[in-house]
Amino acid sequence: MKNIKRVVALACTLALTVGVMSGCKSNTDSGSEKEGTGKETVTTSDKPVTIDIFQFKVETKDQLEKAAKLYMEENKNVKINIQTVGGGDDYGAALRTKFSSGQEPTIYNIGGMQDAIDWKEKLEDLSSEPWVSQAFEGTLEAVKLEGKVLGMPFNQEGYGLIYNKAVLEKAGIDPKSIKSFSDLEKACETLESKKTDLGLEAVIALPGKEDWVLGLHMSNFAFSNEYKSVVDAFNAKTTEFKYADGFKKILDLQVKYAFKPDGSNKSINSVDYATQVEKKFALGKVAFIQQGNWAYGGVAGIDEELAQNIGFVPVAIDGVSDGKIPVGVPMYWAVNSKKTDDEKKAAKAFLNWLYTSDKGKEMIIKEFKFIPAFKGYEGDNLKPADPLAADILNFSNAGNTLPWVFMGYPTGFGQKQLGADMQKYIAGELTWEKLVENAKANWETARK
Amino acid sequence: MKKNNLSFWMFVGPVLLAFIVVQLLPLIIGIGYSFTDWNGIKSNINFVGFENYAGLFKDKEFIASFKFTGLFTLVSVVVLNALGFGLALLVTRENKLSNILRTVFFMPNLIGGLILGFLWNFIFTEIFNSLGSLLNMKWMMGWLSDQKTGFWGLVILMSWQMAGYLMVIYIAALQNIPQELIEASQIDGASPWQRVKSIVLPMVRPAFTVSLFLTLSNSFKLYDQNLSLTAGGPGNQTQMLAMNIFNTAFTFDQMGRAQAKAVIFFIVVGAISLTQVYYSKKGEVEA
Repeated sequence: MKNIKRVVALACTLALTVGVMSGCKSNTDSGSEKEGTGKETVTTSDKPVTIDIFQFKVETKDQLEKAAKLYMEENKNVKINIQTVGGGDDYGAALRTKFSSGQEPTIYNIGGMQDAIDWKEKLEDLSSEPWVSQAFEGTLEAVKLEGKVLGMPFNQEGYGLIYNKAVLEKAGIDPKSIKSFSDLEKACETLESKKTDLGLEAVIALPGKEDWVLGLHMSNFAFSNEYKSVVDAFNAKTTEFKYADGFKKILDLQVKYAFKPDGSNKSINSVDYATQVEKKFALGKVAFIQQGNWAYGGVAGIDEELAQNIGFVPVAIDGVSDGKIPVGVPMYWAVNSKKTDDEKKAAKAFLNWLYTSDKGKEMIIKEFKFIPAFKGYEGDNLKPADPLAADILNFSNAGNTLPWVFMGYPTGFGQKQLGADMQKYIAGELTWEKLVENAKANWETARK
Repeated sequence: MKKNNLSFWMFVGPVLLAFIVVQLLPLIIGIGYSFTDWNGIKSNINFVGFENYAGLFKDKEFIASFKFTGLFTLVSVVVLNALGFGLALLVTRENKLSNILRTVFFMPNLIGGLILGFLWNFIFTEIFNSLGSLLNMKWMMGWLSDQKTGFWGLVILMSWQMAGYLMVIYIAALQNIPQELIEASQIDGASPWQRVKSIVLPMVRPAFTVSLFLTLSNSFKLYDQNLSLTAGGPGNQTQMLAMNIFNTAFTFDQMGRAQAKAVIFFIVVGAISLTQVYYSKKGEVEA
């Protein structure tokens, strides 16, 4: 009897142990394995090559797979495997694991300056690619090291003050006429005086809770005039905070006309992104919000018709950046320089095809719904479907853009330091002088 | 004992191994990193001695979050245990509803902290606001927009989540009180308050030891509720220690500094909890 008990106990423990061990087994990707069509109808004389793509943008995973399939049909010798890690997962960490485990991808993503420096030895020089000359000015700065272009821009994104066309028209304001800060100030005054007629709760919704809206996006209106490019900001040991006064005006204006849940300034700090975009703007309760083209989906989800009648007005520092909005590249494609020449060639060809061939361009606009970072998308069939994207492309084509220098701020500076101080300033717990002083000191400490 | 040595190790072994690998080793390695300037990425790590620790005393945010966490712990330990014990007294009385009530009170504990944070965020910012403007009560509006409401928001959230759990512990203790003691006191003519004070409280003392320990360490280490309710805002004023450490490590890329904070945190929480357990245990009695 005793023996039986012991055997059972042993079996149980073993089962448990095995359970624990197998929990550690890593998941291997089975995403896009080859279907194994045995047909050997190679049309070109090229050797078969395999491109492994390890990418980040979950939102366009299906589209990329579709594009890869299309490409493989045209080029029978190329086989493309795509693996996607992103969204809630940490792409940077996953990429490091991928490299250190020896399964190096052929094509991967880098985020900008810091990544370019970190990954330098694994980045292929892409300077001689045909799309380089097509790229919008400033979009390649962040991935240029020692004169070499090391990354290909994914897409462009931009932000400014999004307006509700119907409300502005009713108030007799032409959005196209708003170029400088004084124009904006006047428009806000007009809207405020006609608030009840227009059915507005407030003129602007400012999401005080989102430190990235304050500390990254809004502060960029000032810093993008101090630094010519993200690289300059990245290399700056200190900051003068030259346009602090203009920046104060922008913040004060947005606070003055903001939606305040309980009427006090400090309650602005409880307004979040969803309240700003969906509950206030999409329902026509405010005329302006400071957001980017990514807000389109949220607005369209609430009111499809309203979403078709929105656009950007610039938030400018008077006399310095009139009529311009910040446009930047959130992510870049990179090719692994440690792969064989054939693989690198095929990888470059695929990226080139995706962004410059007619079929590729159509996919980029219609399927990926990207705002391209390249010229040559002027055809009528290549117009972005949503009005915010179209507006950003207009600003880009006209050269009226400011760089996203916040991507070159010291780590944590924008959100956790400047953004937090701005929240305190809004609540009246910190003076402006102290905020500027802190910003300068924090920048310098971080870059020491 | 010796006879069962094999099965003893078979049972303890896997857990012990897991404990060593995921708790003990990281702790030791972490202490090691706290003496370096590692940023979490680079491979040439320099030894900097006690520089990280010395820097902590000049870190205003860290000190502020230390104070905030301490105050929060103090308040939530009192509120939580009072609530838990009160609920337990309520549902151990003979009542048709008491079984349902037990389930209801325990339920919030089954929801994860992150989800709860988002739920209460909605309640505080939306429902409170609507109610406030409807009833014309100013204090209900603009919650979570300053440190004070953020603090009480966190206390309410924690109480709502953990009171049910403590209730279960107290119920078990209350039901363990020998019936004859109660009866004897009734015969002696003790009032209900006297009974609670002289019999019930001393008898459930072991439960207090456990509950105090649980609430103390949980409140100190709170992270997910903090993240989803206020995210430390506005202006980092409701940032608790765990979040401050996380941000130092992964937002500011100062792994060494963060590890130093974590070591201090570990020592403080350990010392406070052990002291509490020691003194609570000392006063326990048996029937």
